Amino acid sequence: MKEYTILACAVALVAVAVDFALKTHLVRQKRFWIFWGVMTALTTIVNGYLTWRPIVVYGEAFNLGIRLFTIPVEDYLYGFGLITLNLVIWEYLTRRYRIPEIPPEKG
Amino acid sequence: MPFEYALVLLLCSAVPLVMSFSKDLNFYASWRRLVLAVAIPMVAFVLWDMVATQRGHWSFNPRYTFGLELGNLPIEEVLFFIVVPFCALFTWESVKYFLRRRR
Repeated sequence: MKEYTILACAVALVAVAVDFALKTHLVRQKRFWIFWGVMTALTTIVNGYLTWRPIVVYGEAFNLGIRLFTIPVEDYLYGFGLITLNLVIWEYLTRRYRIPEIPPEKG
Repeated sequence: MPFEYALVLLLCSAVPLVMSFSKDLNFYASWRRLVLAVAIPMVAFVLWDMVATQRGHWSFNPRYTFGLELGNLPIEEVLFFIVVPFCALFTWESVKYFLRRRR
């Protein structure tokens, strides 16, 4: 059983479900996907190092064996799940606590 | 070297940590927001990590960790769930800041 593959898919779906349940609707926002463009690049560098050394060693029986450089593809779904949950809770509380965004100076 | 995993975490968080104090971001407007946004997923992911490590989904190379453990996880792996979310939340606020400024 590719347990890591299944769990990584599941957590990504859970994160999207929580996004809808808390009505933060991040997945509908363009800036969320711009953020993921930046984060994908950053996490590829960091996780690339962790998996290349390797600091983290994967049990090959539990993932598909498809890698981007040395990174199992499951890690991207795992990271998406974790960080999207962080953002959803953050945005939910930002709204709930009525935390204003500081308008930056013009020009 | 046993400090490598810790060094990776330190290098990730150095710039976000310093820049998070910028007045333009208002990043620490609510400590409660920050703590909850990090801690709630952290609890779930640390438990998942412990089970996954136990089952052999992955393991940690003892050459690159200090050897302090929480359950079956190196302390660095537990800190990962604070450092990475912190960096991500900082990046999110930065992306929002730059997109606001462009308008």
